[in-house]
Amino acid sequence: MRKNRFAAIVLAAGLAASLAACSSGTSEDSPDEATTIDVWLMRDSVTDAFLDEFVADFETDNPDTDVNVQIQEWDGIGQRVVSAIASNDAPDVIEVGNTQVAQYAASGGLTDLGDKVSELGGADWIPGLAEPGRIDDAQYGIPYYAANRVVVYNTELFEAAGITEPPTTRDAWIAATTTLNSGEVQGIYLPGQNWYALAGFVWDEGGDLAVQDGDTWKGALDTPEALAGMDFYAQLQALGKGPKDSDEANPPQVDVFSAGDVAQIIATPGAGRQIVEANPELEDKIGYFPVPGKTADEPGAVFTGGSNLVIPVTASHPDEAYTFVAALAGEEWQERLAVEMSYVPNKTTLADVLADDPGAAAMAIGAHNGHATPNSPEWAAVEANNPIKNYMTQVLTGADPKEAATTASESITSALSGG
Amino acid sequence: MTPRPWTRTALGVAAVITLLMSVFPVYWMVTTALKPTPDIQSETPQLWPSTLTLDHFATAFAADGFWTFWRNSLLVTVGSVLIALVVAALAAFAVARLRWAGRRAFVLVVFAAQMAPWEALLIPMYVVMRDAGALDHLATLLVVYVVITLPFTVLTLRGFLEAIPVELEEAARVDGCSHLTAFRRIVFPLLAPGLLSTSLFGFITAWNEFAFANTLLISHQDQRTLPVWLSSFGNTFGTDWGATMAASTLFMLPVLLVFAVLQNRVTGGLTAGAVKG
Amino acid sequence: MTVPSEVAVRTTPHTPEHGASSPRDRPRRADARRGRTSFWPYLLVAPTVLLVGAVLGYPVVRNVVMSFQEFGLRELVQGAPAFVGLANYRELFADRVFWEVVVRTLAFTAVNVVLIMVLSTLVALLLARLGRVLRVAVMTGLVVVWAMPVIAATTVWQWLFQSRFGVVNWVLVQLGLEQFQDYSWLANGSATFALIVVLVVWQSVPFAALTLYAGLTTVPAELFEAARIDGAAGWALFRRITFPVLRSLFGLITSLEVIWVFKCFVQIWAISEGGPNDATTTLPVYAYQVAQTLNRYDLAGAVSVITVVVLTVLLLVYFRQSLRQETDR
Repeated sequence: MRKNRFAAIVLAAGLAASLAACSSGTSEDSPDEATTIDVWLMRDSVTDAFLDEFVADFETDNPDTDVNVQIQEWDGIGQRVVSAIASNDAPDVIEVGNTQVAQYAASGGLTDLGDKVSELGGADWIPGLAEPGRIDDAQYGIPYYAANRVVVYNTELFEAAGITEPPTTRDAWIAATTTLNSGEVQGIYLPGQNWYALAGFVWDEGGDLAVQDGDTWKGALDTPEALAGMDFYAQLQALGKGPKDSDEANPPQVDVFSAGDVAQIIATPGAGRQIVEANPELEDKIGYFPVPGKTADEPGAVFTGGSNLVIPVTASHPDEAYTFVAALAGEEWQERLAVEMSYVPNKTTLADVLADDPGAAAMAIGAHNGHATPNSPEWAAVEANNPIKNYMTQVLTGADPKEAATTASESITSALSGG
Repeated sequence: MTPRPWTRTALGVAAVITLLMSVFPVYWMVTTALKPTPDIQSETPQLWPSTLTLDHFATAFAADGFWTFWRNSLLVTVGSVLIALVVAALAAFAVARLRWAGRRAFVLVVFAAQMAPWEALLIPMYVVMRDAGALDHLATLLVVYVVITLPFTVLTLRGFLEAIPVELEEAARVDGCSHLTAFRRIVFPLLAPGLLSTSLFGFITAWNEFAFANTLLISHQDQRTLPVWLSSFGNTFGTDWGATMAASTLFMLPVLLVFAVLQNRVTGGLTAGAVKG
Repeated sequence: MTVPSEVAVRTTPHTPEHGASSPRDRPRRADARRGRTSFWPYLLVAPTVLLVGAVLGYPVVRNVVMSFQEFGLRELVQGAPAFVGLANYRELFADRVFWEVVVRTLAFTAVNVVLIMVLSTLVALLLARLGRVLRVAVMTGLVVVWAMPVIAATTVWQWLFQSRFGVVNWVLVQLGLEQFQDYSWLANGSATFALIVVLVVWQSVPFAALTLYAGLTTVPAELFEAARIDGAAGWALFRRITFPVLRSLFGLITSLEVIWVFKCFVQIWAISEGGPNDATTTLPVYAYQVAQTLNRYDLAGAVSVITVVVLTVLLLVYFRQSLRQETDR
């Protein structure tokens, strides 16, 4: 089988070499054929099942449009999006993170959808999603979904360890996790570079990743507050076998959790669906609680993450692209998306649909203490070559925290000053 | 000279150490690819695999897009080698056999181009190709590879051509052949070894090239070539080191074959050419 | 591995720039009879000229222009960059990070080249004294290393040095260095630097060693005999006979390795992307980072121009002799 295929490829190579110039894969559309729109969505932002259903439904409603979805890896995504919006045949729709959309909006490479805002019901959009994509009256990013992290836990392992109530303070959380972390069971699987989780702990202490001083931004990981946050992270990270030198995507932490011997991970509630998709035996054994704060009065601070949908200026099919965005960001599919993925839908008016969802309920409590990354258009540059991740690994592997924090803060300062 | 026994032993030990240091990483790649996962993820590594399995190769073959990336790599490699050969042969003939104003300047330019610091040109190349709307096309990569290998190919073929006596060719022309016919009938067969070695060089260059493939084919993931795909193995295989090593082994195989063919030329060439510098 | 200049030496017997004695006078004689009016030669070289001009010449020019412009994400998307004179160079020269990168690049080059030259000389001397069987075995091993694609090697390196199950940590622990239990090489700047140096040296020694060995075999045995009769041995023999005879070959290989290591990009990018905390950022990596993560194509252009200038100087030093030959032809 393999041999035949190989021979065929060699043959094809010879023949196709001369045709290579034409094999670029862009579609030239003649009017009587269906238009194909290219859509980029991020890895694991929705389940395969949801995506298939949505695309099938969209293609039924729009028989003249075919949808070609490309799932993008988070690794190196900034570079790919820049390339795409700067190219002459960009994809028609791109999902971009809410911390990154400001930069692309400022570049002039995105279509202004300001005149569609009222049609899309923009008055009800969640500000945390709508604002980064807006410059004055121009709206470049259309809110897609929001989410913040909670603790996803294995109820069976909690029961086995005799823990009946999810912890509500940091002390109780550490105590419970220490109890859970025995034998084959990992108390928590926390990879060394989950910088969103670290950011939460830093905010809890009253610190931040970077602070603004007049017109300039300075990295602030070396403040006593931020160092205390890192200290807590290290304490928690030690209560499991999370690798110190990688993030939650490498390996995907839902895969690790679905093996069944991990008691907790810090993830968006949608992870619960993906875990069950990977290992159906864990159905009904997954619980959620808000990341505990320093006291029981206030949940732990969390990063309010989310995505926008954008249409590049050079998109080949802007009208079809808009139809697609309007459908995915419209109320019907936003409700389905919220229920399916436990995401916060893009409009405040839709929040009710999550009332019966335990994951979303935990998320909603945490959302009261939601934070954003430093509000600089250059923040994307920090994430593109993230010094916070290096810093975390260094501290976890024994470097002097203060010294490592100073170096990392300098990197952040330099990235935020645009060079 | 007859070495004393202890000298001989010392030499033997040094030889074995050199051999181990050089081939161990290759050995470790191949054996990891053949070990079952529990043996790979073991606190005490097995230096000699106890059980062998082809599972990891199966995983690599089944990986998303594996065949696409093979096809892409083969396309650009074979395509660029063939085009470079044809283009270079024409130029080499003009340089070695014809006299024309500007010949010396041309050779100097080709010579300079052969030394071009391509690594420093990644960003301007990206901007230029973007302006030309040529990003994310395999054909763009193919053209870049042609130009990377072209100067070397021109100079080498010129060397071979000059070594072929002009009289042979002239004899053919006396018999009524045109320039090109003479080239085809007489020169080409004698040129074959030169064509072979330059195409092998082109093959290795294009097959291994990473930096431009990683810069010029960014957005369309199904346009990637094997080196780019392999460099992001974390996305494909996560921490499955067995599959990652299997993919690396498969990627290396063609080059190893090429080197096996090339080896006489390599060692022979070294003594004949480089030493005289 | 886009290193044509060096593979040129590696793979072919006939590259004239190393003084191969190709019959230089022949074409001239033939041409004299032919006259010089034909348009053929120009037609034959046209494809080469066009391709090299478009894909090499134009980007070089464009790079220089870009380094004098303000060229960020906005200009990339919308065009119309403004000229800013020497502002980019001024910004670069005023930046402490840039100078750190320059110093690091020089240190990286020096460390690698010294290690490569010392090790490959030792291996070459070893090869010369080995019996046939062992010699063929070692040479085969070297060729296999040489054949390994860079990206395959970087992947294998990541596995060898993996913190949990990597064999290197295991060996070090077995040797009694307990601190290497689960050691994360890529978390520590110096460790990552060392790891990449080991990789580059490992990849470079085969070419240098095999070339030097080939050179050694051309040194007349009588020279050694004579020196030995004079009582020279070991180091003295090397210093008095081997090195002087092969001086130009040593010079050639050293220059090639300097150039190759200086512009080394793929190994560093694939393993660490210049991290952690820029500990492995050399000039080519810096240019790439500045462009792709900060979207400062103008600054990257300036860095590239500087790199090209430095490399051109290095190349001219190395190729001055061959260049003289070419101009004489």
